[in-house]
Amino acid sequence: MSQPNVHALAASASWRDYFELTKPRVVALIVLTAVVGTLLAARGLPPLDALIFGNLGIALAAASAAAINHVLDRRIDARMARTRTRPLPTGHLAPAQALAFALLLGVISMVILVAFVNVLTAALTFASLIVYAVVYTVWLKRATPQNIVIGGAAGAAPPVLGWVAVTNHIDPQALLLFLIIFAWTPPHFWALAIARRHDYAKADIPMLPVTHGVEFTRLHVLLYTVLLSVITLLPYMTGMSGLIYLAAAVLLNGRFLWHAIALKFAPRDEQPMRMFRFSITYLMWLFLALLLDHYLPTTLS
Amino acid sequence: MSHSAWVRAIAIAAFSLCLGVVVLGAYVRLSDAGLGCPDWPGCYGHLTPAGAAADERTASAPTAGRPLEIGKAWREMLHRYTAGTLGALIICLTALGLAWRRERIVPAWFVTALLAIVLLQGTLGMLTVTRLLKPLFVSLHLLFGFTTLSLLWWLVLTLRQPHRGARSDLPVRGMAGARRLALLGLIAISLQIALGGWTSSNYAATACPDVPTCQGRWWPQADFRAAFMPWQAVRADPQLNYEGGVLDNPARTAIHLSHRFGALVASLALLAAAIAGLRLGGPAAPAALGLLLLLALQLVIGVSMVLRGFPLWLATAHNAGAALLLLATLALNRSLWPRSAPVTLTG
Repeated sequence: MSQPNVHALAASASWRDYFELTKPRVVALIVLTAVVGTLLAARGLPPLDALIFGNLGIALAAASAAAINHVLDRRIDARMARTRTRPLPTGHLAPAQALAFALLLGVISMVILVAFVNVLTAALTFASLIVYAVVYTVWLKRATPQNIVIGGAAGAAPPVLGWVAVTNHIDPQALLLFLIIFAWTPPHFWALAIARRHDYAKADIPMLPVTHGVEFTRLHVLLYTVLLSVITLLPYMTGMSGLIYLAAAVLLNGRFLWHAIALKFAPRDEQPMRMFRFSITYLMWLFLALLLDHYLPTTLS
Repeated sequence: MSHSAWVRAIAIAAFSLCLGVVVLGAYVRLSDAGLGCPDWPGCYGHLTPAGAAADERTASAPTAGRPLEIGKAWREMLHRYTAGTLGALIICLTALGLAWRRERIVPAWFVTALLAIVLLQGTLGMLTVTRLLKPLFVSLHLLFGFTTLSLLWWLVLTLRQPHRGARSDLPVRGMAGARRLALLGLIAISLQIALGGWTSSNYAATACPDVPTCQGRWWPQADFRAAFMPWQAVRADPQLNYEGGVLDNPARTAIHLSHRFGALVASLALLAAAIAGLRLGGPAAPAALGLLLLLALQLVIGVSMVLRGFPLWLATAHNAGAALLLLATLALNRSLWPRSAPVTLTG
């Protein structure tokens, strides 16, 4: 991500700190899924304003949510090794600066979505932002080990937002994309939570491996991965996607299942992080496959 | 080779062949080739469809007034001959098991029961043809085929080399619960297979061309009373050909809906059993994992069948998936019981 904060005490805010506040890599994945939602919603190329302004608005909202999360979590972040070097715990940015930045991003996002896209997209984007930045961060995360399952709804929203930017109403196919990310979040996040369980325990966050143990979490990761394998076949089964997508989904699911099985039955210390990293590759390729399948000649499908 | 190794080898061969015969049988039914040869045991009075095709009487005065369709006839005869081979293998298995019963390789009652079921299964195969595909006979033919497969699988699992070292028979925590759930799962999958056979033999799959709704509604018009009267067709006109089904649409809808509801119940039961097995770990874990993956696969196949308009290959895969799901459930049950009962392997 950013450079290690060797001169942390210099405390002068640079554009890099603001950039890091937006969690650029998470936002990149979110925007990818949103763009795929936009492109799948239309035959051929979608209207350019939906594609450009729609996804710009979604990206800014996601960045705003990330910045709010930095502000609200700054005390927890200071206690965890993984997040100790974030701009707020190091003192590079003051909470007020970060909050102002988040509000600015959020307002620009809403203006863009309302003015150039449609009100439904703006409303759903705003709801997702609130669910992630406030409901999840402030309450769910500290309240229940099912935090990331429920909060996953916010992370699963982007393809629906991208879709609605084109169609202005919620279609079943968009909900299918939602369902994929919703089922993907638990194995993705819990793999990380197993690797970082000591951090979470130190920060008093009731992540599943902390409250119910690693073995129990491994079982749940496996069960959700099987569920995900079934759900990711739905686009083919319902005729939304064709054989290209099917082939990609089968291969990716095979690999993801292999990771989940290895995690459950042959757990080595590095396996949780390996699975976590693959889960990101998995989602990226799965959505790219949806896209490829959508645009390649239908004779193949 | 030792005697027990012979028994084991024949059991494995018979099991593998049986899996093929079961799926081939489903393919015959699903490709409407069940009456490809309307007489029994011959085909239009000949040993092979080729012989029947060469005989000019086949064309001028066909058996039961059904002109020969060579592809269907070959499928039906292939099923009969492979099933016959399987029958011969099982007779060998029973004969050896009884001849060597002092060595207690397999219990005499087990192989005797296996033989009895295979003979009954042969009779049901005949009745399927001669009684013109009455659903009761077609379904029983499926169920006894699955029973034969299950018994052979149980034998293969039991005849595996015993684990080295002493196995403690101390009760493991969660074992009793896992056993109960695994048994419930076995009952659920068995009932669901019976419902699946009833769906297929009554040609009720296409009654609901959509999913999750049926005919565009959550609760379409369905006649559950007429749907489950297995004896009615048998008692009625023996000359009535059941190919394509005779029930009216509400009855077929009721059968299809029952199979869908059964899928829900069986899935929950198998999921519970698989989770119990995974939590128990040890030898139960691989079986539970297999069960979980096959359950996912079978649900995908089942739903895809409807969504894709019942293509033959998916329908056949649905039967194969059911067989594998049953085998995984049996393997889970087997792994939860000590190696000593009911069959022991010595020397």
